[in-house]
Amino acid sequence: MTITSLLYLGFFAAVALVHYALPRVVRPYFLLAANYAFYCYDVSNRPLALVLAGATLLTWVCGLVIGKSRSKVLRVVFLLLAIAGGVGILLYYKYWNLLADAVAGVTGITPYHLDLITPLGLSYFTFAALSYSIDVFKKRCKVEPNLLHYAMFVSFFPTMITGPIERYPHLRPQIKKPRRFSYTRCAGGAFRILWGYTKKMVIADNISLYTSFVYTTPDTMNGPNLLAASILFALQLYMDFSGCCDIALGVARILGYDLIENFNSPFESTSFSEFWTKWHISMTGWFRDYIYFPLGGSRCCMPRRLMNVVIVFLVSGLWHGADWRYLMWGLACGVLCAFGRLTAGVRKKIWKYNPLYWADWCRVLIQRIFVFLLFVATLVFFASALYNADPYGVYAGIFQGWQGGIAPAWDSVRTLLHDSGIDGRLPVVLTCASAIVLAAESQGRNVARWIRAQNFALRWTLYYAAAAALLFFGAFGQSAFIYQQF
Amino acid sequence: MAQQSPTPIPQQPKRVHRSGRVAAPARPAPAKPKRPGPIKRFFYGLARRVYFGAKTVSRIVLLLPILVFMVWVSYTVDRSGLFQGELAPRRIVDLMLQGYDVTNFESMDERQVVQLYAQDVPETPQVIGIGSSRVLQFNRDLVGVDSFFNMGVTGADVRDNMTSYYKMVTYDKAPEVLIWSVDPWVFYGNEAAYDYRADAELYNEFLTKVLGVPTDYEEPDKVELWKALVEPAYFQGNVDYYVKNRGQDVVTDDDGNTIEFNPVSGDPYDQTTTIKRSDGSVLYDTAFRNQTQEQILSLAAAESTTFNSVHMEGFDAMSDTQIKAFEAFIDYAHSQGTTVILVLSPWHPFLYNYLLNETDLHKGFFQVEPWLRQYCAEHNVPLYGSYDPECIEGLEEMDFFDGLHCKDTGIKKFFPGVPAVLQAVETNTLPDPLAVTPRTSLPTAEETAEGDAAAENADGATEENAA
Repeated sequence: MTITSLLYLGFFAAVALVHYALPRVVRPYFLLAANYAFYCYDVSNRPLALVLAGATLLTWVCGLVIGKSRSKVLRVVFLLLAIAGGVGILLYYKYWNLLADAVAGVTGITPYHLDLITPLGLSYFTFAALSYSIDVFKKRCKVEPNLLHYAMFVSFFPTMITGPIERYPHLRPQIKKPRRFSYTRCAGGAFRILWGYTKKMVIADNISLYTSFVYTTPDTMNGPNLLAASILFALQLYMDFSGCCDIALGVARILGYDLIENFNSPFESTSFSEFWTKWHISMTGWFRDYIYFPLGGSRCCMPRRLMNVVIVFLVSGLWHGADWRYLMWGLACGVLCAFGRLTAGVRKKIWKYNPLYWADWCRVLIQRIFVFLLFVATLVFFASALYNADPYGVYAGIFQGWQGGIAPAWDSVRTLLHDSGIDGRLPVVLTCASAIVLAAESQGRNVARWIRAQNFALRWTLYYAAAAALLFFGAFGQSAFIYQQF
Repeated sequence: MAQQSPTPIPQQPKRVHRSGRVAAPARPAPAKPKRPGPIKRFFYGLARRVYFGAKTVSRIVLLLPILVFMVWVSYTVDRSGLFQGELAPRRIVDLMLQGYDVTNFESMDERQVVQLYAQDVPETPQVIGIGSSRVLQFNRDLVGVDSFFNMGVTGADVRDNMTSYYKMVTYDKAPEVLIWSVDPWVFYGNEAAYDYRADAELYNEFLTKVLGVPTDYEEPDKVELWKALVEPAYFQGNVDYYVKNRGQDVVTDDDGNTIEFNPVSGDPYDQTTTIKRSDGSVLYDTAFRNQTQEQILSLAAAESTTFNSVHMEGFDAMSDTQIKAFEAFIDYAHSQGTTVILVLSPWHPFLYNYLLNETDLHKGFFQVEPWLRQYCAEHNVPLYGSYDPECIEGLEEMDFFDGLHCKDTGIKKFFPGVPAVLQAVETNTLPDPLAVTPRTSLPTAEETAEGDAAAENADGATEENAA
């Protein structure tokens, strides 16, 4: 069941309807049933529901022992058991073949590959379950005696496809005491869903026509097109992923749950480190709390601190997939972040000698553009992994084919945009829509809340405009969400 | 008198005892709200749900115009012809319903046109005609009824015949009268009798649903079909198509091919190409219509040698299955309140005589007419015409276009028109089908001699009577 299908909307509408018809005490249990129904809808996922149930049961039992036991040894043992279980599932289903290749590379034996189907939402539910065990161990979270409440948290269907990666202390009070129906909340949630679909289907999916066109055959593309595709891929990824999170948040909101916001205007960051506090917040927060801090965080010497940053990003790269290009992407981000931290003080000191930085707005603009371009540069690895391209070939290709200057380069990009299907009114629509989205979400503004504050006529005009944009320009049946595969 | 100050003189402040030497009266503790009883809570919950449910539904209703617009566009434009048939046949039917004759008959998908006509015709025609191209000369003038539509299609097999009528019935448009020009291959139960263009699926549906004959027919998933109405991708395709073709002189189909079916301009009888008349009949081009007797004869001669290739390869005997299907179809039409008139369109004299010379190769063919005559006599079904041109009084070679197709001048010689047939049915004065005996073999020498003698006797008697 893809999130952009009518089936998903129908399923969600039915769940919401029954959910609110039931007494509040029963709602979490009904949602649990709905989560597993969602999980098992796809035939190939049905046997893998056992993996989800197993991970849930294991981490719940471990959490119970960790929370109730006074013996530190026992607590540590069960924590390690929970981690081994969660990470083990992740390694087995996601990284077996990569590890087999690595072992084969070292030992010289033939790698033993497995043809495994990855369970839906594997990276999300294992991280959610692991965070609970660690939080209980760290006493940041009370132990949950009700297995079904905990199971509902781990399998919560709005977050199952692309996150955000939830934490139990955040969701627990909402599960314990389900909210009453609130029309305002639901209307806000519904708009959030509409907003998400517009971002995903109008902007991201249409841009993907061009980026996938370029990245699937990068050898035949010239520099201007490779550069344009890399830049547009950054925008596509943001619209795709944040659009999906908007849908997840909207769906959860209608069901009475507030999830973690996953994005906070990342393209307005003025440093690469800041960017990573605003992009995929739930994941970066998870790595910060469960990897970066245990490694020593910032409370150690500079080299170690920088190394910690690189390690976190390497793991982050690996989390995205068993592919060396994701690993390289993580490494590049880590190195850039570490370099940014290392030179932050020096750079700040020399600001005053840069005439462009004398005006604050100019400095901010330049820094934002610079951060964006750095992100684009790292994303070449990411996009190459996604479309199975050679990233070094792309990097090399970007600098070729600029003979004649900007005008022929622009013509070449325009022609390819047209050939890839972005023709007619679509380029104008995409430009305007992207500008509207970025402006509306500027400085972390909550668009759903803003629109709810408008009067009836304006509000409904905007609803209709969003629906019309979706209907006329949405790319239907194009692709699943990029982050669905992670 | 002393002037009063506008400012009121302040009064002595009252002493407030904060230290509490005199204890303030204790405030009554706020009463704990009494928890309502379960029944009250149940009804409160119910009322709350109803209220918010109604509010939510009212807002969803505000979004309905979007859905309605989407469905309307998808249904009316329907570029893939899911609901209204393909674009080209739709244009043809639209023109015919507007009373136009349509050009480019050779490129038409006649079967789709017929099916679409059945769907779109607003008022049920009083009379319809079914059959192969041999029925396509039946027009309003010949039939004698204005409310007539000829549903014949080129190369029609039994499946085309039956499904054309069935289609009308499915739209609740069963006609009062059905003229069926029965071709001999209707009774041939072999693959060779089938035309590749016929709608086999529809025929299977007819057999299964109407005649109760088990086939591999499966009820189509209508939900899937109607889902297209709310499919955004289909909506977008329709918008694209509409924008592309709006105000254009040349209309294109879904694949971008030009749809070249236009109203006939000028005198329909002066056209250089074959046209489809608005009543479904076909008017051949002037060159074909105005051939000389020699030209017609040469066409008939050519067709004589390839006679069996028209759905009758290996037709040795009438098929029991096909006979049952035929009888069941007639019963079905009667059950729908339709009067069935069977017509046997004659073959060119040269061609028929040629067949008589090789009866062994056309056993099945020669069995059909006698059987039909017997059937019509037994069931009181009106039957007009004969395959044997000699059985039709006054029929000449010039009454044919070629070996297979009889002109309207020829049809007039054996078909009196629907009103006359209906009157004959009412007054029970239908011509006896068995009164006509078509030739199924060449006469032997004795028969010829007897025939000559009888003729002489007859001539003598006539002369005597005249004297």
